[in-house]
Amino acid sequence: MIYSIEVNALSVYAGKTRLMGPISFNLSNGGTLVIMGETGAGKSLIAQAILGTLPNTLHAKGQITVNGRRVDQMRQSARRRMWGTVIATLPQEPWRALDPLMRAFRQVSEAHHYVGGKKRSLANADTAKAFETLGLTGAEKQLPNTLSGGMAQRVAFAAATAGNAPILLADEPTKGLDAERHTKVVELLAKVPKEGGTLIAITHDVSVTRRLAGEVIVLRDGALVEQGKAIDVLANPTSSYTQSLIDADPKNWPQSEKQSDLAEKRDVVLTVENLAVARSGKRLFEGFDLTLRAGERVALVGPSGIGKTTLLDAMAGLIKPEAGTVTRAQSQSRHTVQKLYQDPPAAFPARIALKHVLKDVARLHKTDWSSVLTTLEKLGIHPSLLDRKPDEVSGGELQRISIARALTVGPKVLLADEPTSRLDPITQRDTLNMLETMAAAENFAVVLVTHDRQIANKWADRTIILT
Amino acid sequence: MTDQTPHLTHSEARSAKPRFGFAQLTGFALLAVLAIGALGGPSLIGQDPAKQSLLSTFESPSRSHLLGTDNLGRDMAARLLSGAQLSLSLALLSVITAGLPGTLLGVIAAWRGGWTDRLIGAFSDAVLALPGLLLVLMLAAISPGSWWALYAGISLTLWVEYFRYTRQRARVVLSEPAVEASRLLGLSPWVLLRRHLIPEIGPGLLTLAAFGAATAVTSVAALGFVSVGLRPPTAEWGVMMTELLPYWREAPFLILQPVLCLIVTVLALHLSVGGARRP
Repeated sequence: MIYSIEVNALSVYAGKTRLMGPISFNLSNGGTLVIMGETGAGKSLIAQAILGTLPNTLHAKGQITVNGRRVDQMRQSARRRMWGTVIATLPQEPWRALDPLMRAFRQVSEAHHYVGGKKRSLANADTAKAFETLGLTGAEKQLPNTLSGGMAQRVAFAAATAGNAPILLADEPTKGLDAERHTKVVELLAKVPKEGGTLIAITHDVSVTRRLAGEVIVLRDGALVEQGKAIDVLANPTSSYTQSLIDADPKNWPQSEKQSDLAEKRDVVLTVENLAVARSGKRLFEGFDLTLRAGERVALVGPSGIGKTTLLDAMAGLIKPEAGTVTRAQSQSRHTVQKLYQDPPAAFPARIALKHVLKDVARLHKTDWSSVLTTLEKLGIHPSLLDRKPDEVSGGELQRISIARALTVGPKVLLADEPTSRLDPITQRDTLNMLETMAAAENFAVVLVTHDRQIANKWADRTIILT
Repeated sequence: MTDQTPHLTHSEARSAKPRFGFAQLTGFALLAVLAIGALGGPSLIGQDPAKQSLLSTFESPSRSHLLGTDNLGRDMAARLLSGAQLSLSLALLSVITAGLPGTLLGVIAAWRGGWTDRLIGAFSDAVLALPGLLLVLMLAAISPGSWWALYAGISLTLWVEYFRYTRQRARVVLSEPAVEASRLLGLSPWVLLRRHLIPEIGPGLLTLAAFGAATAVTSVAALGFVSVGLRPPTAEWGVMMTELLPYWREAPFLILQPVLCLIVTVLALHLSVGGARRP
């Protein structure tokens, strides 16, 4: 049996400390390997070790054989020649992999031309074909910063696969994609082994593992937890950690209690009537109505690009609606509508210790510092973390700190813009559980924007679907 | 919680690493020495930089003349100190008068956007079209050897740099979700400036300021050296170089002194901000 990738006792070290490994696996043509684990488990290190893109401070030990050649002993320049033609990679943050000054079509056709070695006309034809298959029609002339996350992902996919490399490494390919795109990207990836290629996918999403099947490796803190056929591992996990990863899949969440009798008991905190919003002159939707009551949990579901964020901005009073009204209950100050953001580090000033940020808000709203600390404690945040800067704490913790920051104001409505889509599944579940508890305790309404119908169904009192 | 940042002890925590590197500390030390020299001036050593003594020209360093005397028997140390006073005060003044309005206009343009931004931007472009060197030459022709003419020529167009840098960076920072969050929380513009803007653009502005000061010092010396800037008998480093140039064979030690002063000043300014933006 000839393997396309053979990895034997691969470990990654920083100096003398082992960060990841040892792991071993073999894949032949048509094989799939899924590497699972949370952020910081060392999943990406495997991909980097195979590619030869480890940062200088790290080094790999063990044997890596690609198509019968020992790549770990090759010179860097020789390994580099394999990129795109033998091994292609779909990076984690696709918008960072794209040239910000080049239009989408050009980025892909260039890859066909230079990496795939095709003539310009053929490269253009193939690019057009790829754009059609990937549902990117109309985006040809767009610059990467005007593409939505999902579109950028697909442009990056089109560029990565342009060189026809038989081996594809996909690092968190579905991160931040809506349900439909999620399915499409997984289908795209599943095609790779079907057509005789080899796929290595890195993910923390159990549903991706289930769909791609093949082999699975579960990592935790760099150590191998479990390895085997995906079907077997998912059906009968031997480790409790694998089990907890499976439990964290929104499909397996327990159903939250639906509060159905709010209309009689609770006050209306926000009314939206006949709202229409537009972004850069384009009308996104109109005639949107919503009545929010204290303590209510509403999920807003819809594909990316539909204008969910813009709608939230209008509800928060950050932008002027095109038509219609957003009315707060009269007793409320304008600060009672607060927002949670998708990317927690981007929601805090980068160079300031978190303590100062929270203290600024507490001072302004005359909230007692000790009550802020109590809230933090309820959210499971140790006060010592507040001496750090935003990039020195984990995403889940930072999102909980931003919940605490919003609560300092005494909000009546919390607009959560995909607050957990960048978090690991276990953290995602914990964060949403806490949000639910807090909303009940402090009696504020939550509008949760999500692209995951499962989450909406399990978590919210009611779901509004935007189409 | 599986998603916990490990609690590091204080000595391991990231913020505990030293703030300044060796090079930067050297820069600070040199700057401090220069600042003392410039503040004290010739009176530090109790000598008059203009007092000639034709009986004691080209003297070697001695107790009464620490760095010797020049071709007219003037005390070199006093003249160098007087030069430091001139160069550094001009550098400081030009940095302040260019940096403050430039930064302010930049923040205003980024904050207000729209017409304000376009108007200030157009004005700054118009100023840039004015060549600084030409301005110096023109002003020097109008009032030769005037310190103020020199200052105006060097710094009138300098604010555009600060304006462009601040506007560019501030636009990026102000459009971040973090700023939106702070606004929603009701934080005042002053807090937004202090927490978001200043920490982001401060280090870059300091670098601009230090490099601007170094450029101002060299400009003064260069203009003095080609007899466009200050005139003899003013004790200015560039002027001193011109005066001492004919005697470089007999007294190389003398002409080296203003040259070294200039090098050290520029080096000190560059070193002091060198590591400011290192992650």
